[in-house]
Amino acid sequence: MKWHLNPLLLKEFRQRMRTIRAPLVITAYLFAMSALTVFLLYENVQGQLYLVQPTKSQQVFALVSLLQMVVVAFLAPAFASGSVSGERERKTLAVLLTTPVGPFGILFGKVVSSSALLVLLVVLTLPVYSLVFLYGGAVPAQVASVLGFQLVTIVVISVVCVLFSTIALRSTWSTVFAYGSVGLMTVIFGALGYGLKSLYEQNPIDYSALVWSHFFYALDPLYVEAAFLGVVSAAPHVWVPFVEFYAVVIAILLVPSLWRLRPQWFSWLPFVSGTEKQYQ
Amino acid sequence: MILTQNLTKRYGKTLAVNNLNLNVDRGVIFGLVGENGAGKTTALSMLATLTLPSSGRAYVCGHEVTREPQAVRRAIGYMPDSFGVYDDLTVMEYLRFFAQCYGVDRRTISRRAEELLERVRLADKRDVYVNHLSRGMQQRLEVARCLMHDPDVLILDEPSSGLDPKSRLEMRSVLAGLRELGKTVIISTHILNELAEVADEVGILLRGELVAVAAVQVMVQHSSAYRTIVIDGRDLGDDFVKALFADPHVAEVRPLAPGWEVLYAGTLAQQAELLSRLVSEGFSITQFREQPTDIEQLFLRLAAIQEGAIS
Repeated sequence: MKWHLNPLLLKEFRQRMRTIRAPLVITAYLFAMSALTVFLLYENVQGQLYLVQPTKSQQVFALVSLLQMVVVAFLAPAFASGSVSGERERKTLAVLLTTPVGPFGILFGKVVSSSALLVLLVVLTLPVYSLVFLYGGAVPAQVASVLGFQLVTIVVISVVCVLFSTIALRSTWSTVFAYGSVGLMTVIFGALGYGLKSLYEQNPIDYSALVWSHFFYALDPLYVEAAFLGVVSAAPHVWVPFVEFYAVVIAILLVPSLWRLRPQWFSWLPFVSGTEKQYQ
Repeated sequence: MILTQNLTKRYGKTLAVNNLNLNVDRGVIFGLVGENGAGKTTALSMLATLTLPSSGRAYVCGHEVTREPQAVRRAIGYMPDSFGVYDDLTVMEYLRFFAQCYGVDRRTISRRAEELLERVRLADKRDVYVNHLSRGMQQRLEVARCLMHDPDVLILDEPSSGLDPKSRLEMRSVLAGLRELGKTVIISTHILNELAEVADEVGILLRGELVAVAAVQVMVQHSSAYRTIVIDGRDLGDDFVKALFADPHVAEVRPLAPGWEVLYAGTLAQQAELLSRLVSEGFSITQFREQPTDIEQLFLRLAAIQEGAIS
């Protein structure tokens, strides 16, 4: 069987990368990250570079990594939140749905294309990270795991945003849901974990508070990233519940998304009415 | 090539399409005519696999639309009534993208795109961004887009809607050119005159029901068989209308302000007899003139007569 690259992916890449905006974003981001890394390294030693020590270098690495995680987490919805709802608003979705590409092809194309620029940003910052190798403090395996988890987070957020973009009929609402999800992941879950841990520390008998604290912490990509960096002490495979939880969330969101794209598939359900036109 | 059997679509209590029975043979260009809200778009979107029928069956190229939707999608080129285009794509890239969606190989894409751009008169626009084209050009490009994967059936929903008269003429000529390709085409419109040069058969859809199907030639013959007469005079009331209907050739009488409009199926001699009889019966007639009947007016009248029969 002949293999074809998803045509939607090619189209999206072409559309996203042909304007001056994409190179500008990449250049500005790399410049900002490089400047910040150099500034932090320099500031740590008060300008006396021979004083750079591995522990200080690792602090810089941790700070830059966490900052990058925050940036990509909040940039991902900007690329993904209007992906399908935008097609609907531009009235291009109906035609797309009459092609053999199908709902899964559309969702796959949208997820990969909307996360591609962020993946590119993360990969392009590798040389910036290599600055910390100069002074030790971070081993390549740790850098790889940190970057790997950033890539996983980008994909997770992009998938969630694309699915919300499919479920919400308007881009305004899909953007609200997308940023709401990122806020929940990075702020609310972390705050819940912290609050429950504080509760446990005040009342060590309440072991369930500690269990829930670990649960919520594990859903916060910043916390998991911090665990990879060794900034916080966590269970060795703290990323596993993260991946499991969001896999379940994605599976749940996939059902209404497919319903929006192909209501016909769900016509056997008693509560589904035949109002396909408004979804397309 | 296209067959529907009691195809019905309900939206809640609204019956959008009611027991639609169509049979469009291979290579036929079929026009589906109806006013806004008649059910044309719903009927076509069921054929295009976008909408699931509430009951009944529809077959495109032998594939049932609900059971083999993928096969139907490969067999059709669908142009919706209201569509958008992608920004930041040139005309060529736009056609290439949709061809790739159907898995058309690269060499065929370039050749076919060039041919189709010639056909829809956009060859000189191949490197222009799609969003920079005029509405008329975008609609012609959509016709080319529908043909990129060489489908057997084209489903065109109001392809000329929203166009100025010049663009409408250009689109009409593009649609007329489809005949050379031997495709089976179903076109919906609420402007019947557009179909006179394009379609082989025409069906009238009225409140979701197909009330008439006929060859365009028959429609044209009908339009030449009927003539419209405008009559005016003093105190022409109900007695006058009764007197008109005494003539078996009078099909319909409609009030005008002032006067009456008569749809007449008789010959010129019979028309003269009608005038002399009316005068002899004492009606004071100041105006008795024939005005051209176009195919669209005739269709609307026949539809109205059918509507009366239905209700």
